[in-house]
Amino acid sequence: MGRQVCIASAGFSEHASKRSDVNMPELVSEAIEDCLKRVPSLEIKDIDAFVNGNMPAFEGSNIPELWMTDWMGARNKPLMRVTTGGTTGGSVAISGYYSVAAGLPEVDTVLAIAFEQQSQGDTSVGLASVAYGEISVMNSLGIPYDQLTLLLSGGAAIGIASYQAVNYMRKSKITEEDLARVVVQNRHNAAKTWWAHLKMPDLTIEDVLDTPYISYPLRYGMVCPASDGACAMLFTTEEKAKDICDIPVYVNGVGSIANETALIGYDGSGSAQLDLSEQLGAQITSDLAFKQAGISFPRKEVDYAEVYSPFPNQELMWVEKLGLFEENTSPEMYKTGITALNGELPINCSGGVNSTNAIGASAMERPAVAALQIMGKASNQVPKTVHTALGHGWGGYVNLITMMVMADEPARKLK
Amino acid sequence: MSKRTLRKSMEYIKKEYIRTRTMPTNWYLSSYKFKFNITHMKPFLEKLKQKKLVGLQCSSCNRIFFPPRLICGKCLVKPDRWVDLRETGKVVSYTVTYLKDPETGEVLERPIVCVQLDGADTSYPAQLDPDIEFRDTYIGMPIKVHWAEDVQGGLMDLEYYDAIEDDSKDLELRKD
Repeated sequence: MGRQVCIASAGFSEHASKRSDVNMPELVSEAIEDCLKRVPSLEIKDIDAFVNGNMPAFEGSNIPELWMTDWMGARNKPLMRVTTGGTTGGSVAISGYYSVAAGLPEVDTVLAIAFEQQSQGDTSVGLASVAYGEISVMNSLGIPYDQLTLLLSGGAAIGIASYQAVNYMRKSKITEEDLARVVVQNRHNAAKTWWAHLKMPDLTIEDVLDTPYISYPLRYGMVCPASDGACAMLFTTEEKAKDICDIPVYVNGVGSIANETALIGYDGSGSAQLDLSEQLGAQITSDLAFKQAGISFPRKEVDYAEVYSPFPNQELMWVEKLGLFEENTSPEMYKTGITALNGELPINCSGGVNSTNAIGASAMERPAVAALQIMGKASNQVPKTVHTALGHGWGGYVNLITMMVMADEPARKLK
Repeated sequence: MSKRTLRKSMEYIKKEYIRTRTMPTNWYLSSYKFKFNITHMKPFLEKLKQKKLVGLQCSSCNRIFFPPRLICGKCLVKPDRWVDLRETGKVVSYTVTYLKDPETGEVLERPIVCVQLDGADTSYPAQLDPDIEFRDTYIGMPIKVHWAEDVQGGLMDLEYYDAIEDDSKDLELRKD
């Protein structure tokens, strides 16, 4: 195994639907400023390497990292870029971890940055550019374009989610009210987080159920917004982290595993995932990451979880698939308040992706918030002491899962 | 934190910057040429012309793919055995889309279903009979292929799926 890696700090920019006061490099530097504020003894020259990423097609500039080198403080330093769609942030964070864990000489402190300024571009064009290479084969096989759009309007990210939701609702026998309850909890949490986008402290379940459907069973009030925002995380070695911050957060397990693409599949050939809410990829990823972290009973050992849930049914699904709750029991946990801020296992106390979704940054904000919760510096800090936390991401071609398990002590070795 | 802060902050003050200048530009995405291998689709499309359905079976894990695919991701093997499939199948997942009719402006509620044909191990998104109410759709609903009037050897020959009578005993339970 490589070196033990610690997270020394994490920071966010303010998120909004249109950050018209800043351009992309300024947005990124806002997050870096917030990140470095928490480690005042660290100078910019102490950062040895940079990893960054966003989803280029969403905002129309293909090599933004070279545009904003100066704004990141990355001039004359090793710089790497990672892009994996919705999980970009998760992959960037994992790349930051790898860069430190590899133990290369002169590379001890790595700043990982993920960002997205969606107001600059067209999100639907971005999504199309991800999928079009695969989908257009269906066009060539005799499906006219208008029929294809009809099939795929139940497609893209929300299409996949609505199929998942139908499957999940059938399996766990829940109603839309249960979905709305998750949204309400997230938006209330977001109201207490300074950087979150959709802050709705007075939202009720009835308000959510009043909004029209986008595609059954998901309503306008339930889906995530499109935000502008950035996130930065500082990875460093154990020794340096003890030097520069009070509570270093040990990264004990990472995983990024892609399953078969759901719904459309390779060359329009469908998918062998008949139950879209089964999510084998998530189960394998969590098994791997928990094994690396020496966690045998995630239900007991994990104190805090940030899961990637643009849509409420996914939040219910992921917490089960990542091994935090028994199958089909999570709606009950939301009802009884176990997942609330002062519950036994708080989930998404930052408001989650459901309240703030800057695509490239979202999957990094999950481990970043989880790390800050362990440090006790999160914006919406849970009252109990957090020892072990996880940050999860979902995306890619809707099939990639990233996960990072962290704790306030090094991993216990499993025998 | 005992050490003195050496790094000077940028002191980013939002008030100083009220707006940025916006420069509208375009990306033209129309001139890409994506490549696909369709050799594995040809026997399938030929059979469609005769109103027959075939799936491609992986000789390693015995899964049957409908529509056919070039590679089995589980085994890293090229599936090479053609298997006849029945015209019946079932809904494994569905959603309802809300699209505006471009002419009348009326919002159309169309169920889109994921179909698994009997005998196949994969599902793919397809359309239901337009006469079926979207409220009547449910997971496990039995369906049958409705062929297009003139078959041309394309995926649209399977125009949509008709509902057939569901005689399973736990019907009420499943519809729930």
